[in-house]
Amino acid sequence: MTKTAQDIKSYKKQLKEALADGFLRSALDKFNTVYRENRPNVYAGIDFEGLRDEIAAGKDAALPQLEDLFADFKAKAEKAGAKVHRAADAQQANELIAKIAKESGSRKIVKSKSMTAEETFLNHHLENEGLVVTETDLGEWIIQLRKEGPSHMVMPAIHLSRYQVGDLFEKVARRDLDSEDIDTLVKVAREQLRPAFLEADMGVSGANFAIAESGALGLVTNEGNMRLVTTLPKVHVALVGYDKLVPDLESALRILKVLPRNATGQAITSYVTWIKGANACSVADSGTKELHIIFLDNGRLSLAADPVFASSLRCIRCGACANVCPIYSKVGGHKYGHVYIGAIGLILTLFYHGAENDRAIVQNCINCQACKEVCPVAIDLPHLVKKTYQAVLKAEGKKPVKNHFLARVMKNRKLFHFLLRKASLAQRPLSKGAPMIRHLPHFFEKAHGFRSLPVIARTPLRDRWQAIKKPVASPVLNVGFFGGCAVDFIYPEQAEALVDLLDDHGVNLEFPMEQTCCGLPALMAAEEETAADLALQNAAAFDVDAYDYIITLCASCASHIKHNYGKILDDATDAGRRAAAFADKLIDFSAFMQNVLKLQPQAFEKSDQKVTYHAPCHLCRGLKVVDEPRQLIETSGADYVASKDEDVCCGFGGSYSVDFPEISAEILGKKLDLVEQSGADVLVTDCPGCVMQLKGGLDKRGSKIQVKHLAELLADQKKKTE
Amino acid sequence: MDQEMINQLMADKAGAVQAVVSEIGSFDEAVAYTVALARTKAYETVAAPGLDDTQLSVLAPACQAGGLTLLESPLYDQAQQIHAALTAADWGIAETGTLVLKSASEDIRLATMLAEVHIAVLAESRIVPDSAAIAGHLNEILMDDSPSYTAFITGASRTADIERVLAIGVHGPQELHILIHKGD
Repeated sequence: MTKTAQDIKSYKKQLKEALADGFLRSALDKFNTVYRENRPNVYAGIDFEGLRDEIAAGKDAALPQLEDLFADFKAKAEKAGAKVHRAADAQQANELIAKIAKESGSRKIVKSKSMTAEETFLNHHLENEGLVVTETDLGEWIIQLRKEGPSHMVMPAIHLSRYQVGDLFEKVARRDLDSEDIDTLVKVAREQLRPAFLEADMGVSGANFAIAESGALGLVTNEGNMRLVTTLPKVHVALVGYDKLVPDLESALRILKVLPRNATGQAITSYVTWIKGANACSVADSGTKELHIIFLDNGRLSLAADPVFASSLRCIRCGACANVCPIYSKVGGHKYGHVYIGAIGLILTLFYHGAENDRAIVQNCINCQACKEVCPVAIDLPHLVKKTYQAVLKAEGKKPVKNHFLARVMKNRKLFHFLLRKASLAQRPLSKGAPMIRHLPHFFEKAHGFRSLPVIARTPLRDRWQAIKKPVASPVLNVGFFGGCAVDFIYPEQAEALVDLLDDHGVNLEFPMEQTCCGLPALMAAEEETAADLALQNAAAFDVDAYDYIITLCASCASHIKHNYGKILDDATDAGRRAAAFADKLIDFSAFMQNVLKLQPQAFEKSDQKVTYHAPCHLCRGLKVVDEPRQLIETSGADYVASKDEDVCCGFGGSYSVDFPEISAEILGKKLDLVEQSGADVLVTDCPGCVMQLKGGLDKRGSKIQVKHLAELLADQKKKTE
Repeated sequence: MDQEMINQLMADKAGAVQAVVSEIGSFDEAVAYTVALARTKAYETVAAPGLDDTQLSVLAPACQAGGLTLLESPLYDQAQQIHAALTAADWGIAETGTLVLKSASEDIRLATMLAEVHIAVLAESRIVPDSAAIAGHLNEILMDDSPSYTAFITGASRTADIERVLAIGVHGPQELHILIHKGD
């Protein structure tokens, strides 16, 4: 049975155990890499983004009419001999299926894979009713024998090694097996499950599509067990979520173009089966199959009308959000979901299985946006995960201490900045005057000691500004500078590099003193109200009309301001419009330097330094700025050497690295291995948060590789003019 | 795309998912192919649902001569004895190497699901370039009020459920052979 941690303390304990599972770690890590590498080939010649927008639009159009689609489906399917039912919740669905079994005299049941049946814990219910249920999908059969839940929506037994499966199958087959040979193991399933198919009275399946126009079901599979489940027994029950209703075949075929590609990297699965009505069945007394189709609500119909969460019903269960997730690849699906797994699982668990099962897992998202990029139905997963966390906190009526602190301190800029200055003083005994804290007090060291921490600057940017600013009398461009907390209070030298670079481009740069935190940390902690307050403060701090651009050195601030200010503020209000105008003017460092100022190599010294790059999540995925930083490295005169997986998260995620230090350390460790393999002398990135994480990790390793913000690299390489 | 290119695409894509694709000139060749394959594998039976009387009049004596039992309808009672299945395919979809089989007949379902190898004869004229081109035919079947069971079959049964290693032939046929028939 699925046991999900219901409090953060036991969840963290479980995560540590998962991180210690060597097989799981290497299997999932390899899977993550291979999946990402194969994906472009799988989509060669296909306009993925166009297709997914079309599918998303189709799904969204269907949601308000699910009841109508259901009525159409029912009429058509029943005309062809099916019986169509509806179940309000899991219990009702399970009871209905047990009742159908009893009334049809069925005792032995074969099942093909269905996440919806996992959702209702159907097997558990049927077995308690004295029925014998055999899962026939290979992975599902394995986990049924082990009495576990699936650890992936498409590959339920991905957490197990061939040897673990071999040991299990030796007991089932009662003979010695060569576990090294996977074909041998697969043949055990073939031989052991054939009798189950032939003896079964009833088959239970899910469905990928329920086509309203025709009353037909579409099922997408590979092994062939579903075909046997729906053919051999005299009764077939299909358990289908309302969200599987599509208006017509065309909609189903459109989804079929992305589902296998995203799920398993196939252009199409071995079998796609279209079942309509009660087909011939010689073992049934009537000569035709008894077909029951049960539509499960279990919260879907109210979710369909939810202004925020409705888009989660677009999900087609491809599992890709887990496949690319750096956290899933470290801890596996049993620790990254309840029944539904991956980012979508962190969301749906609240609605299908309650806040108690979601309250711990929903916090485990680093907001790297990798899932959002591959989602074939364009669900804004990281955004909805945070919204879900907010809903969990609301449902439970109590917040972590951290949230109360955040809300109180962050809204008050003067208090917040006062505390940062105090922190600078408090850190001095730890840093011993160095720019890094290499050893934390023993109490913190164990989990948090994976990286050295930067010290808070003695003099923040805001106190240096008068001294470093270089006003331009008749500027070509007027640019506002949004510092962000990390540049303002930890890395003011990155701002100095920026000022230096802008010199002789005729740019007048201004740093409005009333600016404060962008609000992303508040949103990450589901403190949306605080985030909105900070957005308003920033919009008010900048005289937006006076600037051609507002530049920032922080990719995370930039992505948050660009994408979230519009979501958390009502653009019908003056304040909301001002925040939107602020977001419109905002530009990240690399895009500004490459596309606006168009830096030229002649202005930079040649260098034989090898420079590699880390692409911040919020730049490459958040803002889709991909080529510019690499072009700027070339422009700087350095020798750009690519690392593998430059666009994979560094494990920082702001407060994520404090909340889940062991996972952050694992993600960082892999990143740094790849950086070291590149043979680079310098690692460049364009987000101070990533700089903090990467610098801290390399320092702890005693590495000679320098870490710089791209602005610093360019400033260092700039030809000195007298 | 002309028919030649469509055929080639069909053969390439089906081949890429481990289907064995051959061209045949007549139905007699399909019979010879089936009997030879069954004998190589030391099979004892052939199921051939959905063939017409003329086709059966070629197949039956060939099976007999090859020492093979041609299973008779209904197949349900012989479900455990189906070794090779010979059927027609109703369409082919070239872009994915997919066969489309109208399988409302229980015998067709049982033969194509339970056999160790499935040999499907596909007329060249029934190969369409892509799924958009099959949608009309499929929708005609689905919009009809009578029950139907339509199968898209692409390669042999497969799984990657153990360590993501591809294994062929988990529940369905372990081999799929496609014989493309020049003509109708």
